[in-house]
Amino acid sequence: MSTLVLDNGAYFAKIGYSHEKVSVIPNCQFRSKTSRLKTFTANQLDEIKDPSGLFYILPFQKGYLVNWDVQRKVWDHLFGKEMFKVDFADTNIVITEPYFNFSSIQESMNEILFEDYQFQSVLRVNAGSLSAHRYFHENNSELCCIVVDSGFSSTHIVPYCRGRKMKEGICRINVGGKLLTNHLKEIISYRQLHVMDETYVINQVKEDVCYVSQDFYKDMEISQLKGEDNTVVTEYVLPDFSSIKKGFCKPREEMNFTGKYKTGEQVLRLTNERFAVPEMLFHPSDIGIQEMGIPEALVHSINNMPEEMQPHFYKNIVLTGGSALFPGYRDRVYKEVRALAPVEYEVSVVLPLNPVCYPWEGGKLLAENPDFEELVVTREDYEENGHYVCEEKFDV
Amino acid sequence: MAEKKIAVRSQDPNQRRVLDSATRQRRLTRQLDALEKDNFQDDPHASLPQLVKRLPQFDESNESGKRRKKTRGDHFKQRFRKNFQTLLEEEDLSVSEGPNYLTACAEPSKFPQRHFCAVCGFPSNYTCVSCGARYCCVRCLGTHHETRCLKWTV
Repeated sequence: MSTLVLDNGAYFAKIGYSHEKVSVIPNCQFRSKTSRLKTFTANQLDEIKDPSGLFYILPFQKGYLVNWDVQRKVWDHLFGKEMFKVDFADTNIVITEPYFNFSSIQESMNEILFEDYQFQSVLRVNAGSLSAHRYFHENNSELCCIVVDSGFSSTHIVPYCRGRKMKEGICRINVGGKLLTNHLKEIISYRQLHVMDETYVINQVKEDVCYVSQDFYKDMEISQLKGEDNTVVTEYVLPDFSSIKKGFCKPREEMNFTGKYKTGEQVLRLTNERFAVPEMLFHPSDIGIQEMGIPEALVHSINNMPEEMQPHFYKNIVLTGGSALFPGYRDRVYKEVRALAPVEYEVSVVLPLNPVCYPWEGGKLLAENPDFEELVVTREDYEENGHYVCEEKFDV
Repeated sequence: MAEKKIAVRSQDPNQRRVLDSATRQRRLTRQLDALEKDNFQDDPHASLPQLVKRLPQFDESNESGKRRKKTRGDHFKQRFRKNFQTLLEEEDLSVSEGPNYLTACAEPSKFPQRHFCAVCGFPSNYTCVSCGARYCCVRCLGTHHETRCLKWTV
């Protein structure tokens, strides 16, 4: 009886058996201009020799699973012979879904997992619940924690108390990795080079070059300086997929401060984009989205909780999700929350070693938990009672 | 309605079209929605014919093969069923009580909005008279007028 843990994200699916390691695989299909006949699924991305102008087909829209055809194809590939070779009748599955998931999507998922794939038993949770479970497992004495999940579609801030999420405190900021990449594409396309089609390449640029600044205006001033004083500007060499397979930053010694390029490679010169793009997580109003940033929303969410619990929440802030990987993210969140929180409360922000796989690790721990059998819904249960039993048991 | 673009200095200030705030808001909403898109190019497989796939089916006659020669995009849309907006409306959240998807959305920030130059990205102090875009210096204003001002107007 093995358990498969699948953190079904809008961009990456983190999947693995609970007794093995996790694999991070893109949760979408790709189409390329060059190889016209084939549609690549999930990790077949490595087979594409020329990822320029890559066309993404994502099953998620705004964080919710709408396109079941694509999702089924990805799952078929993941559960099939090439990847995990799942023996459905003998496997439990722990699968994540978004907060406030729509009932129609929940029912579709039940149907597909039980009737299509025929898993032995299913546990549907929120990704944050798994993160909270992992956090409480390490810090046994803490009662409450608040999870900040900055993912692909949006950022969710969810308070947890004694393992249950507090629905009144859930806050969603509609800024996620997708928005940051699209914005970066727009500004590069306007200022330097037309890259609107190159989601894959610019995503790589964002991950390599962007960072969260600790002092925004000071960094702005530094990036306006000329010559050697400007420590912010970097030159990024774009891949051309024949000689240069992957883009990289030019080291400082080779950088050309006078602005004339000699070689034939395509180079992007990035100054304030480096820190202005992740700044959108903290100030969505920079771009016109009238919402609070992460630190403000954290404080707002905690203020919605009962008075006695508030100090406990401030002491246990956990950062997860792909956008938590920006350098300087944790320090900036700490600085801003410390400035906004009441002075008598202690503030502590935790960034795990691997924020992307943190919920998956929580799922792994949950699968090994002795109470696991009581949390799941087995196939016999579902066939007798239908959707009702899932609605009752899974608190989404 | 498109007016000819001529150099800024020779234009009489009275002749430049000025957008009102509703139009500016619409433009802004359009820009923000564009940021939510997955792909900015078209499906590279969209125009491929399906003829190759129809041949092995011996029980189906050739007419049904020809009739079904739709593009992949249509096929996808048929089975796509519902998109996010439809699902959200189906949930009918305004009548339900308690926290739900709509109430969980973050509120507007208490801090004032910061403005950045549309051309270079540094903090801006000035606004374009016609379209409301921000700029930081006269050089950026010139670039803005030549490239973007009032192009693709709603």
